[in-house]
Amino acid sequence: MRIVRGAVAAAVLALLALLVWDVAHGHGPGVAQKVDAGKIVAAPALNLPRIDTSGRLSLASLRGKIVVVNFWQSSCVPCKQEARTLAAAARAWKAKGIGVVFLGVDALDLTSAARGYIAHYGVEYPNVRDATGSTYPNWGVTGVPETFFVDRRGRVVPPHIVGGATRQTLDEGIRRALSS
Amino acid sequence: MRAAVAVAVAALALAAPAAACRTHASQSHLETLLVCLECHTTLDESNSPFANQMKADVARRIAACQTEQQILDAMVAQFGPTVLSTPQTHGFDLLAWLVPLGGVGLGAAAIGGGAWHWSRKRGPGGSQAPDPALAPEDERLVDDALDRFDV
Repeated sequence: MRIVRGAVAAAVLALLALLVWDVAHGHGPGVAQKVDAGKIVAAPALNLPRIDTSGRLSLASLRGKIVVVNFWQSSCVPCKQEARTLAAAARAWKAKGIGVVFLGVDALDLTSAARGYIAHYGVEYPNVRDATGSTYPNWGVTGVPETFFVDRRGRVVPPHIVGGATRQTLDEGIRRALSS
Repeated sequence: MRAAVAVAVAALALAAPAAACRTHASQSHLETLLVCLECHTTLDESNSPFANQMKADVARRIAACQTEQQILDAMVAQFGPTVLSTPQTHGFDLLAWLVPLGGVGLGAAAIGGGAWHWSRKRGPGGSQAPDPALAPEDERLVDDALDRFDV
């Protein structure tokens, strides 16, 4: 009987330990919520495989540049509606030569569909693939499209665009990141 | 005559791939084995755009004569093992099978142990063990008390 009691106690302790571990390692509020409250916060790590070419790309490798991070999905209608605007804005800011780059993060998507989307909308900036949506909690992304602005010091600065971006909201975000 | 030969040759050429694909994987069965990672339900229970995209991809692969296992492998390669509705039977996923079995084993052991302990307390005859006999002094006091009730 003592053995059974011991086993039950061990099982209860193990479950409690699992609960504590889960709470300790759980995701707090994502970057989006903090940025929406007007805060400037360090950008979460982002290191994912490229869709448009081979290899990986990390956000850290773009330190020193303004990075426009756009979360999208090929089956999302608002993403399609903003796609050409983003592509045009990326080309225009690249032409200025002041270190503004765009980075697309395609989450929960089929590779073939994502590649078709990139080709269809003439997206020339780098795109990475988050197969399981693992970046969503840290960034606080609740749906697509969402767009963030990362300054030269690797910090996410307001504003954070929820839904389709326009040329005006993109330019405004980039200017604020440039001045931060 | 030449036309008939040409038709026969064309028919044979077209028949070859069709024969190679005689056993099609089942779309409906595959939809129960794959999970829409966005809505966390199996594909057959979801109509989200992402699930529909996955269903279309499965259909394309079936049309391309891929086997069920090849299609599942391709999905796992794209999205990882979480795309499968049932955990795999190797690696870390094996725990998903072993832990419940271990729990059932522990429960059975607890019930068995408890039953064994209880049966030992009740004694070999199956009946409750008799109360120990009274000490002679106590027995005499009880007899005296009972005598007082006798008429």
